[in-house]
Amino acid sequence: MKSGHVKSGTMKRTPLIILAAGIALAFVPKLGLPAFYDSLLYLMLHWIVLATSWNILSGYTGYFSFGHGAFFGAGLYTTSTLLARYDWPFLATLPVAALVAAVLGVALGAVVFRVKGVRGELFALLTLAITFVIGTIVVNTPLDGGQGVSLSAVPVPAIGPTQSSTFYLLALAAATLTMLTAWGIYVSKFGAGLFAIHDDEDAAEVMGVPTYRYKLVALAISCALAGVAGGIHAMFLSYVTVGEVFTITVPLTVVLMSVLGGSRHWAGPAIGAVAITALLYSFTAANHAIAGKAMVGVILIAAILFMPDGILLRLQALFKRAPKLAPGTAHPPSKIATPSGTPSAPPSTAASGDVLLRVRGLQKSFKGVRALAGVDVDVRRGEILGLLGPNGSGKSTFINVVSGHYVPTAGEIVFEGRDLGGLAAHRIAGAGIARTYQIPRPFAHMSVLDNVALATMFGGAVGDPAEARKRAMTWLEFTGLHGKAAARPDDLNLHQRKFLELARALASRPRLVLLDEVLCGLTPSEIDDAVALIRRIRDQGSTIVFVEHVMRAVMALTDRVVVFNHGELLAEGSATEVMQRAAVMTAYLGKAHVVLPTPQAAHA
Amino acid sequence: MSGFALPSATLLSQSVLSGIFVGALYGLLGLGLSLSWGLLRLINLAHFAFAFLAAYLCYQMAAFGVDPLLSLAVLVPLFFSIGAALHWLMARFSVTPFNSLLLTFGLTGIIEAIIQTIWTADFRKLESVYGEHKFKIGVLYVPVPELITLVLAVALSFAVWAVLRYTDLGKAMRAAAEDAPIASAFGVNQKRNALLLAGTCAALASVAGVCLALSFTLAPSQMYAWIGVVFAAVMLGGLGRALGPLVAGTLIGVSEAITMAVTSPSWAPIVSFSLLIAILVLRPGRAT
Amino acid sequence: MLELHDLQVAYGAAPALWGVSLQVRTGELLCVVGPNGAGKTTLINAIAGIQRTRAGRILFEGRDITALPPHRFCEAGIAIVPEGRRLFTGMSVLENLELGSYLPAAKTQRKQSLEAALALFPVLKEKLASRAGELSGGQQQMVAIARALMARPRLLLLDEPSLGLSPRIVHDMFAAIRRINAEGMSVLLVEQNVVMAMEVSSRAYVLEEGRIVADGAPDDLLARPEIQRAYLGV
Repeated sequence: MKSGHVKSGTMKRTPLIILAAGIALAFVPKLGLPAFYDSLLYLMLHWIVLATSWNILSGYTGYFSFGHGAFFGAGLYTTSTLLARYDWPFLATLPVAALVAAVLGVALGAVVFRVKGVRGELFALLTLAITFVIGTIVVNTPLDGGQGVSLSAVPVPAIGPTQSSTFYLLALAAATLTMLTAWGIYVSKFGAGLFAIHDDEDAAEVMGVPTYRYKLVALAISCALAGVAGGIHAMFLSYVTVGEVFTITVPLTVVLMSVLGGSRHWAGPAIGAVAITALLYSFTAANHAIAGKAMVGVILIAAILFMPDGILLRLQALFKRAPKLAPGTAHPPSKIATPSGTPSAPPSTAASGDVLLRVRGLQKSFKGVRALAGVDVDVRRGEILGLLGPNGSGKSTFINVVSGHYVPTAGEIVFEGRDLGGLAAHRIAGAGIARTYQIPRPFAHMSVLDNVALATMFGGAVGDPAEARKRAMTWLEFTGLHGKAAARPDDLNLHQRKFLELARALASRPRLVLLDEVLCGLTPSEIDDAVALIRRIRDQGSTIVFVEHVMRAVMALTDRVVVFNHGELLAEGSATEVMQRAAVMTAYLGKAHVVLPTPQAAHA
Repeated sequence: MSGFALPSATLLSQSVLSGIFVGALYGLLGLGLSLSWGLLRLINLAHFAFAFLAAYLCYQMAAFGVDPLLSLAVLVPLFFSIGAALHWLMARFSVTPFNSLLLTFGLTGIIEAIIQTIWTADFRKLESVYGEHKFKIGVLYVPVPELITLVLAVALSFAVWAVLRYTDLGKAMRAAAEDAPIASAFGVNQKRNALLLAGTCAALASVAGVCLALSFTLAPSQMYAWIGVVFAAVMLGGLGRALGPLVAGTLIGVSEAITMAVTSPSWAPIVSFSLLIAILVLRPGRAT
Repeated sequence: MLELHDLQVAYGAAPALWGVSLQVRTGELLCVVGPNGAGKTTLINAIAGIQRTRAGRILFEGRDITALPPHRFCEAGIAIVPEGRRLFTGMSVLENLELGSYLPAAKTQRKQSLEAALALFPVLKEKLASRAGELSGGQQQMVAIARALMARPRLLLLDEPSLGLSPRIVHDMFAAIRRINAEGMSVLLVEQNVVMAMEVSSRAYVLEEGRIVADGAPDDLLARPEIQRAYLGV
């Protein structure tokens, strides 16, 4: 599916194949086929452009837009207006059409993407509504005026031997450009970020993906390409009306084509476009247009029920051999060397003393509930600090605020001398802080390797996906998961998924690692493995703050602990000393029970 | 396109009245959609296709001499079964809310094709005894079919509201929409209730269809014209609220009518869609 | 009254309960304690029918209810006060209570049940018309307990009723629970707050990492190192 399975040789080959196909197909008009075929081929290419461009935003990021008609229409009307009113040469209108559509898209996206709640079906409805609003405006203003725009007087540039072949060639050029763009994004760091947004936008943001910016760029590219298709189509139709364009038909057709072909792949929409166009055209040609429509409906239903991932991925799964696994699965971490390039600090149990993270008066409230009521915490460089406290005491909230998942209500967070308060999560990740989630949140549709590679690219600022994957591999080796590099997160057990979380957190080379109940649900021996791994993480230079309930791990690992209770700091000091304080016992057990025998000598 | 022209008081009040009537139909159409989306988390685009199919069947039965209102006796149980069957299918395949949108769009296409095959794309108008009558209240004309629509819309909206509010079944549905596992821990059989609700929504669509047949000329492509404005009414009224679509629909209908009277009919769609956009951007939480 | 035989629950690939066996006798107040992540909520949800089990059996009053569909567990005589209350926050307090007595058998006695519940928690009398989401944590907990009582169960399940509540309210809550048990209701209580739980119960099990590691009378258990080690690590 994703670029993880593309070998470097293919990476160079695919764009060449696309170009070669484009050039080869350019000779079709020489065959002198009847105009019927020219139109059919034109339509196929036209829909390839529309469906593939739509997919760049909607398939890759998961923001299914029902507004593609608006941007297509914007391009269409830009060209029509420039041709009919201002006598521009046809080819010159195309870049303008692209620009107008892109600007429109970005203007809308700038507002809509800021609103957190608008995703999924709401985004779909919103974009549909926008289409109708723009359509209404166009029909009521001189742009269209209700009469449509006639372009019959405009000369068609003679690019091909006949008029219909000219359109064919223009559409071919547009389709080749679109496919190259879609592929290029698919294999790039930008594309990886888009797919991460699709799987889990919040986690992606926290890992360093600049989600807002990326969505806008994807939208702009998608709209620009749709605009070009619109410009070409204006001339093809030679008589342009609002009803053709600003409706639900265009977006639903592209959705169908992409879903059918597979929206997670750069070539999926193209396959869907060819299949559906051929189908509809054959029905129309045989005077069964109605049956064609019904057929499309049946196919869509069948696709949703039986092939929600699309034809292409289903075929890929059938023909792909099982990914080769390195011999053996995860071996015990103690045998693995630390990745090269990291400073090998002498194993030290004492913190070096200077303060890495300073938190003062941190508060976080949710709708009147005060999760954090003003805490002061200092984290010293090189230490392992435990965050303890009963359920609901604010420990996870603390991690969420420091990592940027939540915005603090009040208080100050200073990391390495830099104020982090209110920064977007992806910037905090870039600043050198990484976190794991209590319930692992891997990107479900990416391989284990790609999950870690993503963190390398965005948190660790590596630009080249191939390089990122190489480095990701070393992190997988560090955590003992290199045997599972090609597997999907769903195939891992809980223990492995937790280690994947750790590998992802480490891949961005953070100076501070925040672990949220990383040991919960593990068996005793798995806990031992994890404890050893955490120690090695500190030994290679990171500072660790971790929330934990498994007490023996806390005892074994921490240099210091802080205890939270009801959103406030209750106690601070060494673990063994703190856990014996009456106030702490009360917080955990409910009452400092005097009948408890004196604790045994604390084990080191 | 005419500029702004302030119409006479009579014209304006007649517009408002017709806005109320069309708004009632928006509300009736939106009722089933809102319940399905709010309580079942399924977006049933085929709701409109059901309504139109019912409208055509009503038209056909009228051609055989069956009174349109009487045809409800056949249509309501028929569509109840269709709605329940559709829901069963989607539950069986665990279709997500977004995919339900796509799937029901596919179904819409199929139903449109069926309608077009049987009745062709020509316009069809139901000639009924109701259509011939209208009476006058003061200076205002009140056409009987539209009045029937209003009465049905109000009656059904309030009936659903009462069921949801006062009966145990209604409370069970609301509870299950909030927290299905805990509701079932107290004995609520949500699987069965969902089928009941889905069937009811489709039955409501069929009633709306009969109203459509009484007041409007039918053509298969007309289905799509209602989608946008009814979704606006549903979201404005709040998902799963029985009286919401009616109130919001009336608001939209009247705003549209006034817009049309003051400017020109082609500007009317902008009202509902702009409202929809505004809600989505300003208060998306309300709509979920 | 309730017997669990070798109950196993797993979430996908991750096991949560590894063959848990326990018994609740008629009329007793049994508590299951254990640190966070031990599987206490999983256990209670399995008994209430909310969580499907991988293996093992649940016998209630001699009847094997393991394979029943979720909505039939309440009919059998089991009601739950879930972790975090999980009230229907958009509905009124009265409606929440009415939903507790949704089943026909409970519905016929709705009036008496309501009176009894209000006698137990008089504070709720003025709050009947308020939206459940607007109540304080302690009041919500009262509603949750009352809702379960409205179902007229023979076994009451409570999942961490003290969670997020201030000590004084916790004290009142447990007094109410004791009263409920004194009137003959069998209670299975799952708690993180060990001391309070031990004070009200006649017998206890200790659950750690999905397994029962100890059981017996509360005083005996408190003195044993398992609890200290599990909770405090010392």
